Amino acid sequence: MSSTTKQSSLRREFVEIGTTFRDGDWKTRVSYLILGFGPILRGQLVKGIAYLACEVLFFVYLFRFGLQYLSKFNTLGTVETQKIHRKTVYGDNSFFILLFGILTIVIIAAFIFLWRLNIRENMIEQEKRKEGKALPTNKKAFSSLLDENFDKTLLALPCLGIFVFTVLPILFMICVAFTNYDKNHQSPTHLFTWVGLQNFQSLFSFGTTGFGSTFLKVLGWTLVWAFFATFLDYFLGLAVAMLINKKGIRFKKLWRTILVITIAVPQFVSLLYVSKMFASDGIINGTLLRWGWIKTAIPFWTNPTLAKITIILINIWIGIPYMMLIATGLLMNIPADLYESARIDGANPGQMFWYITLPYMLFVTGPFLLTQFTGNLNNFNVIYLLSGGGPQSVSMAGNAGSTDLLVTWLYKMTVNDTNYKMAAVIGIMVFAVTAIVSLVVYNMLPSVKDEEGFQ
Amino acid sequence: MADSKKTSSMSRNRKVGNFFSYLLLILISVIWLFPFFGLVMQSFRSYATEYGGMVDYIIPKHFSLDNYTFLFSGQTNYLRWYGNTVIIAFFTAILQTLIVLCVSYALSRMRFTGRTLLMRIWLILGMFPGFLTMICMYFLLKQFGLTQEGAVPGLILTYIASCGMGYYVCKGYFDTIPKALDEAARIDGANRFQIMNIMILPLSKPIIIYTALTAFMAPWCDYIFASYVAFGTDKSYNVAVAMTRWVNTNDYQGYFTRFCAGGVLVAIPVTILFMALQKYYVEGVTGGAVKG
Amino acid sequence: MKKNVVSVLLTGVVAASMLAGCGSSSSDTAATTAATEAAAEAETAAAADDAAAETTESAVSTDPATYDGKEVKVWVADNVVDFTNDEISKFQQEYPQYAGVNFTVEPVGEGDAASNVITDVEGAADVFGFAQDQIARLVSAGALEEVNPDYVDDVKSRNDEGSVNAATVGDTLYAYPLTSDNGYFLYYDSSVVTDPSDLDKIISDCEAAGKNFYFEINSGWYQTAFFFGTGCTLTYDTDSDGNFTNCNIDYASDKGVVALKEMIKLASSKSFQNGSSAGDATNFAAIVDGTWDVDTVKQAFGDNFACAKLPSFTGSDGNTYQLSGFSGYKLLGVKPQEDEDKLQICDDLANYLSGEEAQLARYQSVAWGPSNTNDQQNADVQADVALTALNDQMQYDVPQGQYPGDYWSLATGLGDDVIQKNLTSDTSDDDLMAALQTFQDTCISYASAQ
Repeated sequence: MSSTTKQSSLRREFVEIGTTFRDGDWKTRVSYLILGFGPILRGQLVKGIAYLACEVLFFVYLFRFGLQYLSKFNTLGTVETQKIHRKTVYGDNSFFILLFGILTIVIIAAFIFLWRLNIRENMIEQEKRKEGKALPTNKKAFSSLLDENFDKTLLALPCLGIFVFTVLPILFMICVAFTNYDKNHQSPTHLFTWVGLQNFQSLFSFGTTGFGSTFLKVLGWTLVWAFFATFLDYFLGLAVAMLINKKGIRFKKLWRTILVITIAVPQFVSLLYVSKMFASDGIINGTLLRWGWIKTAIPFWTNPTLAKITIILINIWIGIPYMMLIATGLLMNIPADLYESARIDGANPGQMFWYITLPYMLFVTGPFLLTQFTGNLNNFNVIYLLSGGGPQSVSMAGNAGSTDLLVTWLYKMTVNDTNYKMAAVIGIMVFAVTAIVSLVVYNMLPSVKDEEGFQ
Repeated sequence: MADSKKTSSMSRNRKVGNFFSYLLLILISVIWLFPFFGLVMQSFRSYATEYGGMVDYIIPKHFSLDNYTFLFSGQTNYLRWYGNTVIIAFFTAILQTLIVLCVSYALSRMRFTGRTLLMRIWLILGMFPGFLTMICMYFLLKQFGLTQEGAVPGLILTYIASCGMGYYVCKGYFDTIPKALDEAARIDGANRFQIMNIMILPLSKPIIIYTALTAFMAPWCDYIFASYVAFGTDKSYNVAVAMTRWVNTNDYQGYFTRFCAGGVLVAIPVTILFMALQKYYVEGVTGGAVKG
Repeated sequence: MKKNVVSVLLTGVVAASMLAGCGSSSSDTAATTAATEAAAEAETAAAADDAAAETTESAVSTDPATYDGKEVKVWVADNVVDFTNDEISKFQQEYPQYAGVNFTVEPVGEGDAASNVITDVEGAADVFGFAQDQIARLVSAGALEEVNPDYVDDVKSRNDEGSVNAATVGDTLYAYPLTSDNGYFLYYDSSVVTDPSDLDKIISDCEAAGKNFYFEINSGWYQTAFFFGTGCTLTYDTDSDGNFTNCNIDYASDKGVVALKEMIKLASSKSFQNGSSAGDATNFAAIVDGTWDVDTVKQAFGDNFACAKLPSFTGSDGNTYQLSGFSGYKLLGVKPQEDEDKLQICDDLANYLSGEEAQLARYQSVAWGPSNTNDQQNADVQADVALTALNDQMQYDVPQGQYPGDYWSLATGLGDDVIQKNLTSDTSDDDLMAALQTFQDTCISYASAQ
C-alpha cells in the first residue's frame, strides 16, 4: 500500500463529500446537518430515524457527559481533593477523565464515520430515484437483517461487548503507560498526569533502582519457560498418546480418563495442593526425610534453579493430558496405508515415527503449537499457584522473583504495589513479545496457507 | 515354517514390549493420581483429633467427615459460594455458546467488507495480557453497579463480553460443513437466519457441547479477577476466591483440610461432567488444534 | 481500501479532538476558577463553623433522623466478625441516635484490607482493621481519615505509647489502636527444646529430634529480630501526608554482618523452615510466631506447649545478643467521607470498638492482647501465658514505626537470598557487607524517591 494511493483515496473521500453536496437536492444538503433527513423524506423511515436517533444520542452524550471529560484530557484534571471542615470533597478524578476522554474520542470518530455513511446513503438514494428505481421498503430493510445483512445482526452485540470490555480498557492502559498513575497518584484523592516516555525510560534503565536488568531476567525466563512448557508437553504428550494407542494395549479408555482428570479438576484446587506437597515442609520432603533418603529438605520452591525445574515438571503433569487428547485424535487421521507401505518397504517403528508421524503431526499442529507457545508466555495460573513468582532477591527490582513471568510480575505490580504505570508498560512489552514471536513463527509455519484453502 | 517362527518371535517381542508399556502406563497413572489421592485423604482427616493444619503425612490417623460437615454447617458461606459459582458457570455457558456460535457463523459463512480486518484486529487484541486491564475493568463494572454486591452478574458479563474473540475452534468446525448445503437451501428460498437455525446448528452438536463445556468449566477456576471484582463482600465470592483465602491468608489457621474437602466437592461435579462429555471435548480440541 | 477509510477517520478524530481541546480550554479555566472560588467560600464557611463549634462546645447532632438509613460497612478479620456484630449492637444501644444506621460486617483480614481499600477507596469499608505496617501507604493513598479531633486526646491517653506512635503519621493521629499484640516470640515443645533461651541449643535440639524450627526470616517483620538484636537501626521519618522523608539505617556495618551471619547459620540447619504460620507448619518443635496462633500451637504441642521470649545467640564476633524484633499493633481506621454525618458515625464506632470495654471483651473472646493501658492491667490479661511471653520479649523490641511497602518486599529478597544460599557461611565478610550495602542503599532510595 503506497502512500500515493492512500492520499488519492483520502482525496476521493473528500471529493465525494463535496460533489454529493454540490449535486445533491435540498434533502441531501439538509442531511449534512440533520442526519437521516433525506431518507426520512424519501420514505426510508427506519433508516432515517436510526440515523437521526444516533445524532441526537451523540449530541446528548457529548454535551451531557463526554465534553466535560474530553476538555480535561490534556491535563487529566487540575482540581485537587480538599478537606472542608472534616468533610472530604473530591476534586477531579484523573482515572475517569482518561477513561471517558478516550471513550468520547472514539465516539466522536464513530459519529464522523456515521456522518460519512449518511452522506453516501443520501447519494445512493438520490441516484436510484434519478434512475427511476424503487427504494427498498422498510420491511425489506428489516428482513435484510436476517439475510444479506445477517452478519451485522450476529456481530453487533459481540462487537459492542468487545469494544467496551476489551478495546476501551486496552486503549486506557496503553495511555496509562504514559502517565504517572501509581501509588502516590491515586484517584480519587490524587491526580495523575501525562509524563511522556518516562516509564519506558525507567524500564530500560540499568542503574541500581532501574528495572532494566530485572526486566531482561524476567523476559529471559518467560521465553525459556514458554519454550520448555510448549515443547516438552508436546513431545511427551505425543509419546503418551502413542503409548496408549499402541496395538495390544488394553483399557485405552481407562488410561486416558486417568490422565484427563488434571484437565477436569479446577487448577486452584490441584495446583495449590501440589504446591504444598512440594514445600520444604510438605509431604514429599517429609516422607523422603522419614525414609532417610535425604538428609535435608529439597528446596523445591526456595532455590531459583530448582524452582524453575519443578515448575516445568509440574506443568508437564497439567500439559500432557491435553496434548494426549489432541494427538490421539490426530494419530487416527494419519492414513493407514502410509504405514502399510512403509512396513512393506521394511521401515522400523522408529523410522516410521520419524518420517511419517512426526512430520504429519508437526504440519497439522503448527498453528496449535504457536497458540500454545503464546499461551504459555502468559500462563499465569501455573506460576502464581505454584511458586507465586518466588524466590525473590535483593538484586531484582520491582519485587520480581526468579520464577516470575512478565504476566505474574504485571499482576504483582497491579495488586500488591498499585504501580499501574509500570504494569501498563510491562503489559505493552508482553504484547510486543507475543506479537513478535507470533509474526516470526507464523511466517515459518509450513501449514500456513490461504484461509480459504481449509474449506 | 520359517514364517510362523518369525511371527511367534514378533509376538513375543510385542508381549515384552507391552509389558513395559503397561508398566509405564501404571507408573504414569500413579503419578497422575497421587495428588488427587492425597487431596481426598486430607479431606477426610479428622479435624477434632488432628486439627486442620498442614501435615507431612498422607494417610490420616483418624478418618472423619468433620471437614465436610463444617462446610455445610453454616459456619461459612460455602453453600452460597458454591451456588454463586454454579450460577455464574451456568449463565456463562449458555450466553457464551450463543455468542460464539453467532460470531463463528458470521465469520465462517458470510463474506462482508471488513471481515478480515475484524479478524485481524481481534487477533491483535488477543495478544494483550488479560490482567493488564484489570483495574479498568473493575471501574467499568463499577459504573454499572456490578462489583461487590453485584459481582455475580458482573462476572458473567465480563466472561461473555469478549468471548466473541474466541471463535477459532467453532469457526473451524463450521468451515468443515460443506457450503453446498447453504447454497441448496438458498435456492429453496431460505434466508441466512433459517439456514443457521435449521441446517448448520443441528449439524454442530459436538462443537456446541464443546463450547458450552469449556465455558462452564472456566468460572470454577477464576480466582484473580473474581477476587478483584467481589472484594470485601463475602456473599458474592465464588468458591475459588473464598477458598484460596483459606490457604493464603493468615486469618484462617487450620483450614487446610477444609480447603481439601471443599476442593473435592468442587472437583466432583466438574470432573463428572467433563468425563461424560469428554468425547465432544476431544472432538473440539482436536479440530481446534488443526484449524489453529 | 478499508485501511484508507480508517486513516481518514483517524485524521478526522485528531482534528476534532484538537478542536475540542482548544475550544474548551477557556471554559476549562472558567470551571477551575469557579471550583476554587466555591472551595474558598466553603472554607470560610467551615472556618465559621469551627468557630461556632468552639463556642457552643459541640455541633454534633444527636437526632436519630440525621443518621437514619445510612450504610456503614466494617471490615474485620473473619474470627472476630461475630464478636464485632455483638459489639455493634451494644454500640447502638449506647448511642441511640444510631439505631437506624445499617451496619454490615464483612470478613476481610488485616492483611488484605489495606490493598483492597487502596484499590478502590470508594468501594471499601468505612471502618476497617489493618496491621500498622500499612498505615503510611493508606495515608498517602488518601484512604485514611484523621482521628476525630474531639477524641485525639482520649485515644492518646488510654492506649500505650507504642500503639499511639504506630497510629501516628508525621504528627497526625490517623487511626485507633486496637491491639498491642502484633509482636512475636517463641513457642516451643518442652519435650524437645531443653533451653529456650539459646538459639543454638534450640536448633541442635530440633535437629536431634528430627523436628522443624520455623522462623520466617524472609519477612521484613521477623527478620529484624536479628538486625535489631545486634543493635542495628532501621526507621523511616514520615510527613503528615504519609510520604517518607528520611531513612535511618546502619545495616551495612559490622553489627549488620553479625546479624546476617546468624541468619545464614540458622538457615543452614536442616531443621530450619521458613514460615510463621502455625497452621501450615508440619512436624515442628519450635516456631517464632504471634499470639494469634496460640490455639493452633496448643493443638500441636498438647501438654508440652510452652512459650518464651525469643532466645539469644552467640554472634560470630563472640558476643551474646538477645534477639529483638518489632512490637507491632493492629489499628482501626476510618476512611475519608463525603458526608460529615456519616463520618461522625464512623468515628464514634471506631472509638467504641477500640475502647477499653471492647478491647477487654475482644481479649476474652478471641485473646487479642489489648493496647488499652487499663486492660493491660487486667488480671486475666496479666495471667495469659502467650501475652506474658510477648511482654517479656517487648522489652527488647523496637516499636514498629512506618515503613514503605517496598521495604517489605526488599526484605523478602534479602531473606530469600539467605535461604536460596546466594549468601552462605562461605561468603566473605566483604561480600556480605556488599549485600547489606545494596540493601541499605535501596532502603534509603525509598525515602528519597518520593
